[in-house]
Amino acid sequence: MLTICDAQVCYGAHSAFSHFSLNAKRGEMISIVGKSGCGKTSLLYAIAGLIPLSQGSSTIGGGSTNCSLMFQQDRLLPWKKVEENVMLGLGPESREYAQSLLALVGLGHRKNSYPSQLSGGERQRVALARSLVRKPGLLLLDEPFASLDEQTRERLQEEIKRYVKQHGITLLLVTHSIKEAVFMGERIIVMTPQGLSYETTNPYHEYEDIRSNTDAFSLEKELRLQLGGFQ
Amino acid sequence: MRYLRGFLVVLLFWYALALLVSGPIIPYPHVVFAHLLKAILSANIYLHLLFSLYRILTGTMLALLVAIPAGLAIGRVKRLDRVLSPTLYLLYPLPKIAFLPVFMVLFGIGDLSKIILIAVIIFFPATLTIRDGVKEMPFQYLELAQAYHLTSRQVLTDIIWPSILPRIFSSLRITVGISLSVLFVSETYAATYGLGYTIMNNWVMANYVGMYAGIVLLSLLGLLLYIVIDKVEQLVIPAQAR
Repeated sequence: MLTICDAQVCYGAHSAFSHFSLNAKRGEMISIVGKSGCGKTSLLYAIAGLIPLSQGSSTIGGGSTNCSLMFQQDRLLPWKKVEENVMLGLGPESREYAQSLLALVGLGHRKNSYPSQLSGGERQRVALARSLVRKPGLLLLDEPFASLDEQTRERLQEEIKRYVKQHGITLLLVTHSIKEAVFMGERIIVMTPQGLSYETTNPYHEYEDIRSNTDAFSLEKELRLQLGGFQ
Repeated sequence: MRYLRGFLVVLLFWYALALLVSGPIIPYPHVVFAHLLKAILSANIYLHLLFSLYRILTGTMLALLVAIPAGLAIGRVKRLDRVLSPTLYLLYPLPKIAFLPVFMVLFGIGDLSKIILIAVIIFFPATLTIRDGVKEMPFQYLELAQAYHLTSRQVLTDIIWPSILPRIFSSLRITVGISLSVLFVSETYAATYGLGYTIMNNWVMANYVGMYAGIVLLSLLGLLLYIVIDKVEQLVIPAQAR
């Protein structure tokens, strides 16, 4: 679904990240965890085609339009109503699907509101609906829950996990939260500016009680160690 | 209500000044308003008002018709910006009114030269305001457009246009005052209708009450235009959509 070969992104003389390679199968859910400044966001932007790769290659199965990026900030257009925001760039034929997605994220009744009338969590849900309405084969999430409170964050994580699994979407989530990486990813990658430094599969991904499962804590501990933090 | 308060403040100043000067050059407001009322009832002022309104509206429309695409292009295309922005800065401070004789030779002494003068004067601040609006547009929205594969037409209609729309209204508000004062000057030459003409005509005939009635009317016309611009803006851009 996604093949990245020895990729590098430079801003002038500064290298955001280099020597990054990754192969993602269809329907795979991958978390990329790393410290701030390790080039996580640059990586996603490069995959989405927003910034050019300085070196290496990135290929998306089904072409570049088969991927959808959900930004860290909701980036809803303030002058468009919720439904129009979801349908950004699409024709009236996608209205029905947009409405069903809004209903799915629990905002069916707010389709005629403006973004300024919504809470932060609601806005991020609209942004989620907007990234799903294009029926992407590859969904890129750039820490979309960073600004949300814990309850809202956990509910949204669950909603996305369920939807992505149901529709066989390939997921690539970048985050600095180890807990989030463990909850969302069946494969977890630790990223540094010099490329991938650690990779592991997540045996607890399917567990219902993954958030409070003590076995999963050992994985979190290992990741914390790999990130150079305290045990 | 807030307009009434402003009106009372102006009235108070006016009375104080009239009292201080106590000569025909500054008549009392009530005398002027009585004259204005008579003029309005006798219907001979409407033609002047209509002519002025017509010149201002067509002049503004003409200016925006050129300023909107020009501001958009200069704001979006860096190479154009490098060439045209300094050109605009160079031409903007020229006293365009001084070129009224040139306009009269080129476009005749009728309405057209007055309308084009107003348009040329409004064009500069309007273009620069719109250019700045385009430049200051959050790049996040353009990234969004790119990530969701919007066509350049969709970028224009869904992102750039709505984000500069408030700028167009503020440029209108800025230019209403300018265009009214330009209108006055242009109507003092080779005109037989218009508020500028009535003011100057009364001045020449030493009819100061009539002159002030014309000035009051010009100011009311400005107020009316401001109110219309505000109302249209509220209609086009609801408060929740900002």
